[in-house]
Amino acid sequence: MNSSTIRPTVHSAKRFFVNLILVCCLSAADNTTQADWPHYGGQRSAWRYSALDQINRSNVDRLQAVWAFQTGKVDGGFNATPLVVDGVMYVASSWNRIFAINGETGKEIWHYFYQNPREIGIIYSPWTRGVAVGAGRVFTGTLDNYVVALDQKTGRELWRVNVEDMRQCGCNITGAPLIVKDKVVVGVTGGDSAHRGYLTAFDVATGRRAWRFWTIPGPGEKGHETWAGDSWKYGGGATWMTGSYDPELNLLYWGVGNAAADFYGEARKGTNLYTDSIIALDPDTGRLKWYYQEIPHDVWDFDAAFECVLLDAAVNGVARKLLLNVNKGGYTFVMDRTNGEFISAWPVAENINWIQGVDAKGNLVGRNEPPVGKTSLMCPSIGGGRQWNHGSYSPRTGWFYTTGIEWCEEVTVSPEDPKEGMNFFGAVFRLKPPLHGPAGGHLDAYDPVTGKKFWSYPSKYPLLASQLSTAGDLVFTGDPEGNFFALDARTGQKLWSFPTGSGHRGSPITYSVNGRQYVATPSGWGSALAGLMPQLWPETESFPPGSTLFVFALPAEAR
Amino acid sequence: MIALALLLAQSAAVPAAVARGEQIFAQNCSVGYCHGVAGAAGRGPRLRGRSFSKDYLYNMTRDGIPSSAMPAWKDRLKDEDIRAVVEYVASLASATDPAPPVNPMPPGAGPAALPSFKGPAAAARGRELFFDPAHENCGVCHAVGGRGIAVGPDLTGKQQIALSDIESTRSRHVLMAKLKNEEEFCALPGERDENQVRLYDLTLAPPVLRSFARSEVTSLVPTPAWRHIDFVRDYSRTELEAIVVYLRWAATGK
Repeated sequence: MNSSTIRPTVHSAKRFFVNLILVCCLSAADNTTQADWPHYGGQRSAWRYSALDQINRSNVDRLQAVWAFQTGKVDGGFNATPLVVDGVMYVASSWNRIFAINGETGKEIWHYFYQNPREIGIIYSPWTRGVAVGAGRVFTGTLDNYVVALDQKTGRELWRVNVEDMRQCGCNITGAPLIVKDKVVVGVTGGDSAHRGYLTAFDVATGRRAWRFWTIPGPGEKGHETWAGDSWKYGGGATWMTGSYDPELNLLYWGVGNAAADFYGEARKGTNLYTDSIIALDPDTGRLKWYYQEIPHDVWDFDAAFECVLLDAAVNGVARKLLLNVNKGGYTFVMDRTNGEFISAWPVAENINWIQGVDAKGNLVGRNEPPVGKTSLMCPSIGGGRQWNHGSYSPRTGWFYTTGIEWCEEVTVSPEDPKEGMNFFGAVFRLKPPLHGPAGGHLDAYDPVTGKKFWSYPSKYPLLASQLSTAGDLVFTGDPEGNFFALDARTGQKLWSFPTGSGHRGSPITYSVNGRQYVATPSGWGSALAGLMPQLWPETESFPPGSTLFVFALPAEAR
Repeated sequence: MIALALLLAQSAAVPAAVARGEQIFAQNCSVGYCHGVAGAAGRGPRLRGRSFSKDYLYNMTRDGIPSSAMPAWKDRLKDEDIRAVVEYVASLASATDPAPPVNPMPPGAGPAALPSFKGPAAAARGRELFFDPAHENCGVCHAVGGRGIAVGPDLTGKQQIALSDIESTRSRHVLMAKLKNEEEFCALPGERDENQVRLYDLTLAPPVLRSFARSEVTSLVPTPAWRHIDFVRDYSRTELEAIVVYLRWAATGK
């Protein structure tokens, strides 16, 4: 971010000065967003935090909708994070529809509708979580497993390349790509398929495949011995979300999903590296620098695939470079991002029975594995103690905001043989109410290192949209009933709410054009979890789908 | 007595198909996040407590639903098993409980899916090599039997294929593309598009489909510069022979 484009938004010299200091001191690796929202996680540190403060605690109740944009496809919901570069918004919706939109007016600049094959039969369904923008291009991954580069100005396709035949791997792309220097890095789904996972980087200019890192080591590679027999060929390890990048360390971080078959682990005895791990790669070569495995030999379908939040904080009085990752099993793992050393682990859900806890060295204590051929109660459910929707880190409060879900499942595990490109799951399950208290969700503010909870916002239903925090000391998110709302970042008190008419499963952002701050959110109920929720909440089956982008700003007199 | 026995046999026969269908459904349709246990809903729609005609269920299960997440199961399940699933799903119409109990599946009650490859061992080895995702494999440029990316010729049914074809140094299909910026590359034409020229760049592996404005491409002519043999150097001669065995088997079943 060029500091010359920063506009003081608060008419207070003191505030302006504070902002300047903030900008100057963070400029080496600016982890906050300013006018733009250039990357999936805001910046590549995945903070989802903006330094904009025109909209703040004192005036958020005057926020108004200024435009809305319809994508035209409600199938699977609206799961994306919009990006904004130089006042232009780039957003993807289900079935790989890409739009460039004027950020001030909501007027479409161009659209690109990718033609997926009709006979697609995608087992990971039609949603997409977004695009990457850089080098004058817009990149996306497709449902039939291609990476596509578009001209940023016109939307014209420049190149496209197949990642792997989707019929072969039972995988495709739903996550947003990440641009690192001259490469675009793309993960794939496939964690619930007979599939060997990987992460692939392509040259942004030509589409040339630059490297591929296999998340399951092959014969002769270190870690291969953690897989019994041929299980490594079908062991999952999907890279279905988006990673992070630390330019100072030149390390690319990516979360790796569950091992397959998800619940039946007898045929893959061993720790099953690098499933359920955070991997740190050299982005130039794709070589592994370090890894940290959160769950050795996962038999619960608990991915480590969610966002890798790169933050610096004091640990026992010593400043450390940290990486925070919320595991689907409901524990947050914090590690040293220079070397993968375990720092701490703390829960985001109350109903957890698959382990008793995590010890001071990061070992899982009291593993409770679902027995084969029997039905057992596991908490949290397969939907997770938290879902993939991302948390947010505010450097102003120093807190991490994230959701938690209280629910369990009855799971019946059965032996299963891998079938190429097919589901490889090893169980059936049904959702059950939790052991303690009602089923539901909550959004909480935590100390990122210790997990100390400062406030909790309860929700009748699991909250399945990402959080956005801002220098206006606000936390934005949406709920399944369609409300988009703002909480006071310091107290959790609800300050503003707007009914968008369809549930929230995407990720809100904020940006600024010509001195006016905007908050944008996808609204559109859908996704695997939305489909599962009627098992516990039958009324949610009739929650309306949608796919609309809502954009809010303050009226002139309130700015 | 005979009539009663017949009646009993008939009534037992229907639940047997339903029971079989229940097992197949559990391992193929409930799994992951699809239709949920006993059709209770997931990312796929709820089937429990809803009425569908058996013809509709059969056609949709066999052929899939175009432009949707529902795959065609005719390539994955035997016809009799698709029919068993139809019987089972039809039996769910009268279910009223939203969260049915789970029936533990006995160990060994395996799925009834078609084996992914039915050929002899030699062909199986060739197939593995053809599609080996850990290498720059044949499948990134050729399709066989509905697998692989058909950038180059689809090799399904090519029973005359020989090692000499794989080691060939000529192609009738490959063109030399020259761009206005003087870049040159060996190319195969991509899908037709009125507004632009689409070319697979064969200098890259896997090949990249590049799109150009018509004015960007100055010439596109057959070329002797491209040699197939350069793209199979990852494979030994024995491995290439195994691939030939596979391709012939795929074409002839022998």
